[in-house]
Amino acid sequence: MSSLERTITPPRRWWKVFGKRGGRSYFVLTALLPLLSYMLLWEVLPIIWTLCLSFFDYSPSRSGGVILGFGGTNPYIGLEHFRRMMGNSLQAQLFRTSLINTLMFAFIAVPLNLLITIPLAVAIESVHERFKGFFRFIYFLPTVTTSVAVAAMWKYLYHPQQGLFNIILKGVGLQPVIWLGDPRATLGGVPVALWAVILASVWHDMGYNLIILIAALQAIPETFKEAARIDGASEWRVFWHITLPLLRPAIVSASTLTMMYFFHAFDIIQIMTDGGPSNQTQVLVLDIYQNAFRSGRMGWAGAEAFILFLIVLLVTLLQLRLARKEWHYDT
Amino acid sequence: MKPNSIKVLFYLLLLTVIGGLLISCGNQAPSVEEQSPQTTEATDEVVELRLWTHSNSSFVAANEELIQRFEAEHPNVKIKLETFDYDIFIQTLQTSMPAGTEADIIEMFGSWVCTYADGGRLAPMPEQVATLAEAQNAFFAAPLEGYHCGDQLYGLPHEFNIEYGGVLVNPALFEAAGVAYPPTWGEDKDQFVADAAKLSQFESDTMTATGFHFINGDGLPFLLLAGILQEGGEYWKPDGSGLQLNTPEAQKTLTWMKSLVSEHKVIDPFLFNQENNSVVEAFFSNRAAVALVGPWAAATGKTDFPEIEFDYVAMPHMGSTPAFVADSGWGKVVSVNSKHQELAWEFVKFVTMNQEHARTWNIKTATVPALQSIAEDPTLPEELPWIQAVLPILPHGRYVGPLPDRNLFWGEIAYPHILAVLQDQETVEDALIAMEEEVNETFEAR
Repeated sequence: MSSLERTITPPRRWWKVFGKRGGRSYFVLTALLPLLSYMLLWEVLPIIWTLCLSFFDYSPSRSGGVILGFGGTNPYIGLEHFRRMMGNSLQAQLFRTSLINTLMFAFIAVPLNLLITIPLAVAIESVHERFKGFFRFIYFLPTVTTSVAVAAMWKYLYHPQQGLFNIILKGVGLQPVIWLGDPRATLGGVPVALWAVILASVWHDMGYNLIILIAALQAIPETFKEAARIDGASEWRVFWHITLPLLRPAIVSASTLTMMYFFHAFDIIQIMTDGGPSNQTQVLVLDIYQNAFRSGRMGWAGAEAFILFLIVLLVTLLQLRLARKEWHYDT
Repeated sequence: MKPNSIKVLFYLLLLTVIGGLLISCGNQAPSVEEQSPQTTEATDEVVELRLWTHSNSSFVAANEELIQRFEAEHPNVKIKLETFDYDIFIQTLQTSMPAGTEADIIEMFGSWVCTYADGGRLAPMPEQVATLAEAQNAFFAAPLEGYHCGDQLYGLPHEFNIEYGGVLVNPALFEAAGVAYPPTWGEDKDQFVADAAKLSQFESDTMTATGFHFINGDGLPFLLLAGILQEGGEYWKPDGSGLQLNTPEAQKTLTWMKSLVSEHKVIDPFLFNQENNSVVEAFFSNRAAVALVGPWAAATGKTDFPEIEFDYVAMPHMGSTPAFVADSGWGKVVSVNSKHQELAWEFVKFVTMNQEHARTWNIKTATVPALQSIAEDPTLPEELPWIQAVLPILPHGRYVGPLPDRNLFWGEIAYPHILAVLQDQETVEDALIAMEEEVNETFEAR
């Protein structure tokens, strides 16, 4: 290189710091930055904040210390909230009840959701092309309806005197059921009120899974099914041995997303039962909300939220681990 | 991009976001010592005060009118009214106070006040507004005591919140059941129960209408506490360190409440409770002949259910005296973060202590006055006819007291246990022991 060339070398573009493929990296960074900022601000930071809260006896009604209200009248108590969760206080009992109800809710609602949506997706996929859109629209409609409206509608359906379900029961000569208000009523060991809110939640949410499963069904090569049929397999065996195994990745995705959604169940339950009767539908997010915003126990609510975060994380990792596939097909 | 570069950028971004938030949050809530309420009255500069209230339309209308009157008398002051749905209002208070973004003046419920005052969120009321003795002379004790924390007042009430003493009655259901109307029970408790029993309707074994609906989140605890006082008992421990609920008076009251269900069959506690067929819902759909609820429900009913004919009448007391417990009431407080506290307090005094303005607020919101002089005004029932039923008992009302967590006691302790007794899920004694233990835990936690 001559001395002249050395002196007039153009300045390096700043994104060249990213290396030889700087332009591409710059693009990737620019594209990711808004999303990354959003996630940091609204997801990572609240998680850190919640964890911090759980180590303090923090209430927003107290001014506390100078740094974000921590300390002073909102004292640091270490792991005391987590220790108290094992105790016999009313709060601890409510937490444990909520945790059990949340697990029951999620582990009943997710299989129920899939039991409804898988056959439904297959059924919709099998109808004439002209009607598919119509059925997809009909079944997706509840999902785009606000949860408040869904809860109000289902609450009315369950009304002990005027509700549709009891009108039908009375019409066929059976005793009406107090769906949402009788703590004695159980079905299969699960409170009837919990079944009632599960049914409403599944109805509201099933549209998402339906779309995921229909998309997955459309991606399965028809040649596999045709080969099985040529070999004499019945439609049931085609579904059981071809369709269902190939749907597995979609089912795993759907069940993971649904599980996460149901672990956070709140709005429908709050409107339909507000946790009653006798705390039989009190789920963790409702308990967190009541502690944080009705009683001002933000520290305790933070500890509960952190436990919920760990459970959701654990269950999701477990689901993903169990569902790991070591094959793929080419169309 | 090299993985290391991404990592470095990620951590830098994380630090920037966290740092920025910490700084901004830290700066938003200046400590009490940093602030000096400014006196701007002497200048011509227009001062803007913010007032927060929940978005009940009658409350909003009342505040708007009083703001107009205040602004007319104070041309240098603009008051901006900001309203929130009830649930959102509580959440907003909880989140705005740590950030120091709350309004100068807040319409707060009396039983919340000491929690916020003890936490250093509210400004103490200066004696220039009213001394404690002046306030005690002017207001009923039950609503005022909610604003009295330690030796200091932190605001003034508009309303005497009362959920006991009056009942909604449905003349059509009385007529259908052949029960005399207007009710003839007067102070005769047994007659009241007998009428309620006759008013219950059944279809085979299923209750279709309740003769007396008293099972709701507010009603049950108020009924129990009133019963204890009326039987000559006391629910506070003598040293004020907690509650004593497993007492003969409490047992007698709860046993009587249970007899209404099991013996007199005035209500089915599974079909009619807070979750199903709540008091207001059941009454205004003709499924409750008599309903225990505060007079506010009568005002709501006149607006929302004009087609239903009803009255609001006094209910006989359970024991030898008409003593009862009240939960303070809505009133106004000033934020410790307000830069114009002097003006804010002037507004509070203007709307709560001035008889004309306070009366306007009560009439527009259809609430029982906290100011004694308004309640004693014989012309008041002309504008608020349903208040007539509870006016005679107001002097017998007592503030519930400084519970560490009022909502927890009402919603998670008293209501569920009393309901469990009525539903035969728990015995009277077990329920009272459990309630006492659970509520006293909240005192220990404090």
